[in-house]
Amino acid sequence: MKNSVRNVYLFPYILWIALCVVAPIALIVYDSFFDIEGHWTLENYEKFFTPVYLKMTLSSFWYAFLITLFSLIIAYPTAYLLTKTKHKQLWLLMIILPTWVNLLLKVYAFLGIFGTFGLANAVLNAVGIGTKQILFTDFSFVFVSVYIFIPFMVLPIFNALEELNPSLVDAARDLGASAWTTFRRVVFPLTLDGVKAGCQAVFIPALSLFMITRLIAGNRVITLGTAIEEHFLVTQDWGMGATIAVFLIMIMAFVVVLTGNRR
Amino acid sequence: MEQEVIIRFDGVTKQYDGLVVLDWVSFEIERGKFYTLLGPSGCGKTTILRLIAGFTEPTEGTIYFHGQPVNHVPANKRQVNTVFQDYALFPHLNVFENVAFGLRVKKMKEAEIRDKVAEALQFVNLQGYETRNIQEMSGGQRQRVAIARAIVNEPEVLLLDEPLSALDLKLRTEMQYELRELQRRLGITFIFVTHDQEEALAMSDQIFVLNKGKIEQSGTPKDIYDEPVNRFVADFIGESNILAGRMVKDYLVEFAGKQFTCVDYGFQENEQVDIVIRPEDLEITAPDRGKLRVRVDSQLFRGVHYEICCYDENGNEWLVHSTKKAEVGEEIGLYFEAEAIHVMHVKDGDDEK
Repeated sequence: MKNSVRNVYLFPYILWIALCVVAPIALIVYDSFFDIEGHWTLENYEKFFTPVYLKMTLSSFWYAFLITLFSLIIAYPTAYLLTKTKHKQLWLLMIILPTWVNLLLKVYAFLGIFGTFGLANAVLNAVGIGTKQILFTDFSFVFVSVYIFIPFMVLPIFNALEELNPSLVDAARDLGASAWTTFRRVVFPLTLDGVKAGCQAVFIPALSLFMITRLIAGNRVITLGTAIEEHFLVTQDWGMGATIAVFLIMIMAFVVVLTGNRR
Repeated sequence: MEQEVIIRFDGVTKQYDGLVVLDWVSFEIERGKFYTLLGPSGCGKTTILRLIAGFTEPTEGTIYFHGQPVNHVPANKRQVNTVFQDYALFPHLNVFENVAFGLRVKKMKEAEIRDKVAEALQFVNLQGYETRNIQEMSGGQRQRVAIARAIVNEPEVLLLDEPLSALDLKLRTEMQYELRELQRRLGITFIFVTHDQEEALAMSDQIFVLNKGKIEQSGTPKDIYDEPVNRFVADFIGESNILAGRMVKDYLVEFAGKQFTCVDYGFQENEQVDIVIRPEDLEITAPDRGKLRVRVDSQLFRGVHYEICCYDENGNEWLVHSTKKAEVGEEIGLYFEAEAIHVMHVKDGDDEK
């Protein structure tokens, strides 16, 4: 009796999972076994292991890694300082606020800032460095991505720092540890869960970026995300696009497992 | 060597956001004694501990260690270790690594660390628990780990911030004996913070009674129990009967509408005073043989004694601890020795510095 009632409550969840998670993944896997003419084939998988795609995978990884790294380098001290401020919730809100603005709008804003006649170049001119090509470079791509992902890195680290018992810091100091040793041996290890969560929240979406690569990096940076977009929208090779997506999903699952085992 | 002063507070004041937590406090801590800072919550006792540990700096005044001012010396540079109220054990390290933390920071050799940690764990009866996680340890065991982690660094002074408050009664009593014993064996100075007067009386060589950021009285447990300087101390240290009275002349005091001989002197004639009589000093007798005539209002059985609450004709409440039983509503006499009366000055504002 009781069980059946519980199963009824479970139904919306199962429906959701089936329609929005299992079905799309199944369709992607299914699509990946067809070539551009609609014949059943394994060729897509063979093609993935050619230098072109492997290089793309590697470059995706590399940029996602860079984006995650810089986000972490900026976000950890930021979160740390935030926990020390008086109105921390307000400051935190200030950092989260940009995520409420549409991603595309933010990217377009950077097109303006980094453009030849934009603010960045105006400043460079003023200090005498002269106009530089900023848009469509690796730098601008990583910069804009980091800017967009920082809130997702700050939030879990901030929460982990907030949960840290302040008397543990006192205890470490009391036992003779310098501020740096205290950070290295107590604060950082105990906020590692937050760091992992933040890295997941940044690394995984960064792997499949496509809009920023196109607009800011001018397709000079080709990642798996851009490749999928190209295959689905331009070359119409859905099979190949789906195959890349399958690999992307596997890589993401792997990353989750790797950074997982959270308590 | 016996009377060597390790720590000296000289007119130390501490404010937090304009709120005075410690108000011009001065005292000395000598080597090898067990000190207790006793007071209600918010009296400033933990602040004193944090000042000694170096977690916070005084707003005014100077703290000396061995005669050297240490106001700006950070916690990690002080020969002092703390046992925290919540123990503050590192959850990501096991018992061994927790205890070894201070030694590793000092970059001690691995073999030496192993020896010292083993010794410290043996001191607190935790041999064989080295590889346990902190989460697997009970409250009492965590307490011991916290103590081992502090004493392994061979501090000159061990600070204990209400370390027993999280334990149940039986364990607490047990730990009181153990801590006292530990202090004797180590021979180092303990500064113990508590709001539990029984704990303070049982363990200390010297007690500082604190109230509202000031030291009300300092002395041995016996001094403080027998000769409280004012109403606050008398009330805070154990249950007492405190009444307003008048010092007629030396050795004669008036309260509850009668005059009694006492052993106190040196007051002004007719000075308004507070008098204290401890409940265990009151003896139940027949109504006509007592010094006071009271009516029993209620009675509680406390195990070792009965706690009897009585009222005299003037409406003063008298608390009596007696092994004899009384009947509620019965009229009884209360007898007490002249020595049982303790006369105190009425505290009038901030006269004393």
